[in-house]
Amino acid sequence: MYFYKTGIPQIDQATGGFDAGTNLLLLAPSLSYTEQLAYALTKPLPGEYAIMLSTNERASEVIDQYKSAGADKHFVGVIDTITKCSTPSVSDTERFMFVTNPTDLTGIGIKFSHMVEMIFDGTFSGKESGLFPPPIRFCVNSVSTLLMYRKLEVLYQFLHVMTAKVKKVEGFGIYILNSEAFDDKTVSLIKQLMTIVIEVKVERSDNYFRVMGIRGVNADWHKFTINKGQVVLAL
Amino acid sequence: MISTGMFGIDDMLGGGIPEGSRVLYSLEPGVDGQLFMISTLYETLEKGRSCLVIIPHTTVDAFLHDIGQLRGKILPAKENKIVFLDSVDRERIQRCAGKGSAAEREWQVRIKKLCTENKVDVIFGYFDVIYEDFGLEKGLALLSRACCPQESTIILENLNFEGDTLLEAFAARKSFDLILAIKSSFRPLPHFNYFTIMYTSWSTELHRSVPFLVEDGHVVPYIPKIVVTGPPEAGKSRFVANATELAMSVDRTGLGGNVTTVAMDFGRLHWQDFDITLYGTPGQPRFDPMLPVILHNAMGVVLLVDATNHGQLTRARNLYKTITRMHVPIVVAANKKDLPGLMSEEEIRKGIGISKNIPVFLISAQQESDVADVLESLVDSITRFIY
Ligand SMILES: Nc1nc2c(ncn2[C@@H]2O[C@H](COP(=O)(O)OP(=O)(O)OP(=O)(O)O)[C@@H](O)[C@H]2O)c(=O)[nH]1
Ligand SMILES: [Mg+2]
Repeated sequence: MYFYKTGIPQIDQATGGFDAGTNLLLLAPSLSYTEQLAYALTKPLPGEYAIMLSTNERASEVIDQYKSAGADKHFVGVIDTITKCSTPSVSDTERFMFVTNPTDLTGIGIKFSHMVEMIFDGTFSGKESGLFPPPIRFCVNSVSTLLMYRKLEVLYQFLHVMTAKVKKVEGFGIYILNSEAFDDKTVSLIKQLMTIVIEVKVERSDNYFRVMGIRGVNADWHKFTINKGQVVLAL
Repeated sequence: MISTGMFGIDDMLGGGIPEGSRVLYSLEPGVDGQLFMISTLYETLEKGRSCLVIIPHTTVDAFLHDIGQLRGKILPAKENKIVFLDSVDRERIQRCAGKGSAAEREWQVRIKKLCTENKVDVIFGYFDVIYEDFGLEKGLALLSRACCPQESTIILENLNFEGDTLLEAFAARKSFDLILAIKSSFRPLPHFNYFTIMYTSWSTELHRSVPFLVEDGHVVPYIPKIVVTGPPEAGKSRFVANATELAMSVDRTGLGGNVTTVAMDFGRLHWQDFDITLYGTPGQPRFDPMLPVILHNAMGVVLLVDATNHGQLTRARNLYKTITRMHVPIVVAANKKDLPGLMSEEEIRKGIGISKNIPVFLISAQQESDVADVLESLVDSITRFIY
């Protein structure tokens, strides 16, 4: 089985990385390092691909973020749910696809399938990794925004489909949810779809995370920062 | 009749969609099925009919751009009889009337007004957002004849998270006259798309599934691969040659002068709007390692046996076991009916162990009409097969 390296020694040493097919909820308050953490965990390593479903940043901004996290942009695809609303004539390319707004779950689902298909049949980027099935990291940034456009029940069903697809293609999925903005019912429902939960907290402007759901890794809080797409643990 | 705008599908439906019907194109999440609705929309506009398009999930400009890209052909809204209710209207309604019954009434008023002012013939609606806003019953009522003009045809697309349960409930309650479910599967090919005619109010005969490809902005039904297998000398090469417009066999003549297939037979044919490729396997057991390669991804198999050759039944039985494990439709053809000493169908069924639901045809591969009957039956089972 393929393991998705995290760059976090505690995880990589204990388990070799996240198992293929893992879905991870990143539960974090606003004004934390959450996004950088998500970019660090979903940037494609050599031989891998990444797909970002972005509800908050335009495709070009997503690419910039991945680049500054040290990723090769040729292996990154973005489903952008913002740009098309103001620029209706923007057209899809292999690596950038657009839907008008986060309401359009039909469009999002199809674009995701298209990207995965192209990665599988080798037409996604000129460069080929040679691994099969091709390892794909998938990030939803963010579930919080999707929840502003669709009801919880509908979004639950949608995420149910997406997490199942991530399993099927042996990918790795990260889903960002703002821990302050939603009630316990919402959080626990979304958690049901996940294999692993990473919680982030901020104390006196320091960021901490803890990991729940990996055998052999305890749920202690770790103080961390992010440097150039790398998670750095403070002692 | 309203044409679906899709090659072959009108025929399958018995001519198209009867006017005044209510149609559901149900999309499984992620399946590349948006062209079903769009094909029907383009066709309807080209026929000069007046359309109302309800797109609560997107704006008019973005929608027109999207469908132009999908179809490979811009739809000039100005030159067509087309009006819209879009996400901007939805936001406006929500702002003034919230999401409850006041909003529902506002939608009703707007739909009615647009329909009468523009003498709308066909209403196209993207249902899942309406469903979410008003619930199933009220959402359906909003896009029913209760609100829309009596004679109008209503065509809805829905992103279906609830699977066949929802569609079966629709069928049982006669909520629609036609339900077409568009799905994808990893079997027998990865990313394999197909549609199923789940229900029509005008016939019970139509329940069938058909694989499709999207090519140049069009939905194309296809049945890519049928394999003909069987014991040596059964007549497989002859069968493929007589079935197809273009056939080739990779054969060798043995020392005794008899010809046998050493690689495969190959032929292409166009059948009832389907593009079919026909492959014949070699019959000699020494070529058995090739069988899995040729059978891979087949969507249907013809097992051909020589009806005069009792000694081949054991071989046929083993082949039968192999192909039943593939879980695809199978037809058995007992060949050489023109020769004396034929086994009875019973003998053949027992000798091979053929299950009751699989048809056995007595044929001569030398007669094109016999070969056609076998293929027709197989294509028919392929389209009725539940993947
Ligand atoms: N009388 C009669 N002969 C047939 C019929 N169909 C095929 N044959 C003959 O049977 C022989 C074998 O036919 P092929 O089509 O080569 O058989 P095959 O199954 O491809 O044989 P292999 O490739 O060796 O496995 C040939 O001599 C054909 O002419 C039929 O319907 N009637
Ligand atoms: Mg042959």
